[in-house]
Amino acid sequence: MKKVFIVLFLFIMVAIPGVSETLHIYSWSDYIPEDVIESFENAYNCKVIYDTYDSNETMYAKLKAGATGYDIAFPSGDYTEIMIRENMLISIDKNKIPNFNYLDPDVLKMITYDPGNEYSVPYQLGSTGIAVNTLYVDEYEKSWSIYLREDLKGKMTLLDDMREVFGAALKYLGYSVNTTNTEHLRQGKEVILEWENNIVKFDNEVFAKGVISGEFWVVHGYGENIYYEGTEEELKNIEFFIPEEGSTLWIDNMVILKGARNVELAHKFINYVLDPKVSATISDYLLLPSIVPAAEEYIEEERIYTVEDLQNCEMINDLGENLKLYNKLWNEIRFGLW
Amino acid sequence: MSQKNKTGFFISLPGIIWLTLLFLIPTLIIVVYSFLTPGIYGGATLPLSFESYTTMLSNPGFWLLLWKTTYISVIATLITLLLALPISYYIATSKNKNFLLMLIIIPFWTNFLVRVFGWMVVLGRNGLVSWLLNFMRITENPESFMYKPSTVILVIVYMYLPYMILPIYSSIEKFDFSLLEAAMDLGSTKLKALWKVMLPSIKGGIIAGIILVLIPALGSYAIPELVGGKDGAMLGNLIARQLTVARNWPSSSAISMIFLLISALGLLIYLRITNIQYKRQKAYEDYISSNGENI
Amino acid sequence: MSDYKKVIGKRRFSLIFSILVILFLYLPVITLIVLSFNQSRHGVLWTGFTLKWYRDLFSNADVWRAFLNTVIIALSSAAVATVLGTLSAIGIYWHSFKTKKYFQGLIYTPLIIPDILMGVSLLLFFVAINVQLGLITIFLAHVTFCISYVTLIVIARLQDFDYTVVEAAKDLGATGSQTFFRVIIPLISPGIVAGFLLSITLSIDDFVITFFVAGPGSTTLPLKIFSMIKFGVSPEINALSTLLLGSALVLSTIGIRFRKIIFT
Repeated sequence: MKKVFIVLFLFIMVAIPGVSETLHIYSWSDYIPEDVIESFENAYNCKVIYDTYDSNETMYAKLKAGATGYDIAFPSGDYTEIMIRENMLISIDKNKIPNFNYLDPDVLKMITYDPGNEYSVPYQLGSTGIAVNTLYVDEYEKSWSIYLREDLKGKMTLLDDMREVFGAALKYLGYSVNTTNTEHLRQGKEVILEWENNIVKFDNEVFAKGVISGEFWVVHGYGENIYYEGTEEELKNIEFFIPEEGSTLWIDNMVILKGARNVELAHKFINYVLDPKVSATISDYLLLPSIVPAAEEYIEEERIYTVEDLQNCEMINDLGENLKLYNKLWNEIRFGLW
Repeated sequence: MSQKNKTGFFISLPGIIWLTLLFLIPTLIIVVYSFLTPGIYGGATLPLSFESYTTMLSNPGFWLLLWKTTYISVIATLITLLLALPISYYIATSKNKNFLLMLIIIPFWTNFLVRVFGWMVVLGRNGLVSWLLNFMRITENPESFMYKPSTVILVIVYMYLPYMILPIYSSIEKFDFSLLEAAMDLGSTKLKALWKVMLPSIKGGIIAGIILVLIPALGSYAIPELVGGKDGAMLGNLIARQLTVARNWPSSSAISMIFLLISALGLLIYLRITNIQYKRQKAYEDYISSNGENI
Repeated sequence: MSDYKKVIGKRRFSLIFSILVILFLYLPVITLIVLSFNQSRHGVLWTGFTLKWYRDLFSNADVWRAFLNTVIIALSSAAVATVLGTLSAIGIYWHSFKTKKYFQGLIYTPLIIPDILMGVSLLLFFVAINVQLGLITIFLAHVTFCISYVTLIVIARLQDFDYTVVEAAKDLGATGSQTFFRVIIPLISPGIVAGFLLSITLSIDDFVITFFVAGPGSTTLPLKIFSMIKFGVSPEINALSTLLLGSALVLSTIGIRFRKIIFT
């Protein structure tokens, strides 16, 4: 019996890399639509292997520990900056990416973590907001203050994400989401503790399912998850908004990792994704604003929000050394450690 | 005697080599990390320092977390034990042992997450239990039973039940039931016989089960993360968080080492007990075999 | 074995209890089976019967690849771990030799290391010795954490084992290996089987350790499912679980019948 397994084993080990050319993508789950991947495979006669992670942090921990073999990864801005500093990326040859010119210059201006886009090319832009199940909640202000409402106690969630929750609190107070001012941070912590009284859970995984099914009435999260999860019928009862005080902004980028086995193909993929028609398909799939203006004419679905809606939003940047400040306060909030 | 020693050594050798290579060495890497200084972006650098340990050990919140984790895990383990005993007994004394065992194990071959989602459907605000209670007019409004400390205990019990059942079953199956018969012939009730005769001799299985449930429960982090509420965080969550979000590998390693030492103490006690048991049993058997004719 | 019926009687209490426990075990499972036929994607409410998810499942190559990986790794690592674990149990329990204490510590310590640390430490180790991450590294990792469980279970079995049987066999002229294979192994086989089953269970569900040591393209089912969680785990997975459950039940019933036929 054991022999059979060993043989099967070896077979699989050999079979998978045996195809002509392979591209290894390491990304969020369902972040790139199937048809885009298929059409890329057909256009360039190759195979795409798609592996997933569920957060920047775990992806980074694994890559930092030395895992190789992936060609492209999709870190958010702050982690892109970290990966650049830690020499984990290969610089991008813009000559191989003519479609780079299709990118929205306004979006490019926002990019402080990789000026000049030497190592990264933006993939998607988005924000974090609040979703409310209107079957259970009639009146509410489109503000972070909803978390202060005692009548909704036990029916709300916040993301289990230090930067996002602090970002929300800091925006609510009118401060920067990247502040290192200890007084601002202390106030932020107070606010979060007040919010914590009314939530039932800090959650990253089930908020979409939860708000649609009525388990939660108000959740903090990403629009695209919620819209993906619900049917048209169900979404009629859900309202997603970006609070008026503003929110966090993130840009997910395509980067080529050191140790990538197929740098050529990686460049081709990045270029492919920026083509207006392809960008429109992706945008329709994720319902996020497209960062390729020329894609506008191909877009069919309505966005959850547009780039203009994100005026008030501030990008999360890496804090470097100062991460400790946030971390200490977050541990106090989550674990009661002080 | 020395022939036996050599046999023992060689028999265990493959396992030991495997574990030394694939467990001991990687773990030593962690031990080393716990004494290093965290890099800003993860990883670790010299100089060596005890800081990761001192920061945690001197933090009252850390001990509070440890206490909460222990409390939840111990309760969950006890409940699991109480549930496992009768069912292990039933299976071990049944004619369809293997079938029943498979029946117990098979649900656990579906995916962990899928089972958690199953519980969410059962315990959620618009779920089965809530609906049932409304239907029976025990409650008026839909109630959610998710995201409470008791939810964490329930799911831990659920997830670790087979780990308690298997070793206990294994022990009961070997038990010589004629001893029970003898006890009852001597006038004992069945319950008393079970308690005083069977229970002590399946102690090995019980303790193995306790270890197989308590230790992973103490270290669990997926369950509290998914079904625990805001206060449900356990030690495993802190370890994971320090590693990923805080990018503080030394701290994460140090906390694991502290956890390891505390658990190791428990294990040492277990080894003590079993070694003593074994020595006693061996002594008894030696006595029997040397005085064979006189019995 | 003695005649249980006489001694144990009707076992009414444990029967009722067992039925309740089995209901408890199957409650979420039945729920997920029912939901695999539910029209709604994340049903708490039943919106209609459909086989849609089963159809989607069959065309989802990624999930099948992950499933196949999981099964191969589970069976092979459980097999190896059971062999190593059983040998270690016998060696440690019955013999004393100089390095026994070290052996015991080594066997039991993996039980108390949190997964996430074991995962990262193995990753660092594989990188350090320049081993390419892939199915093999997952296999190695799984065997490593299963051995201790098997040893623990087999030792529990050995503790109630009557060594005089072995001595009797030797007195009757059996050689070492005859004693081993014909006397010892059969008598501890329930423990071995229990250990094997437990290893499969552990391997099939492992997420954290697998995440860190998996290479590009070597996804297992838990990895695939966990990664779907943010976008909602599709009922396709419920469908897969239902099929898995069904086939495991069928296979094991056949296996048991088969065994009965052969050995009686």
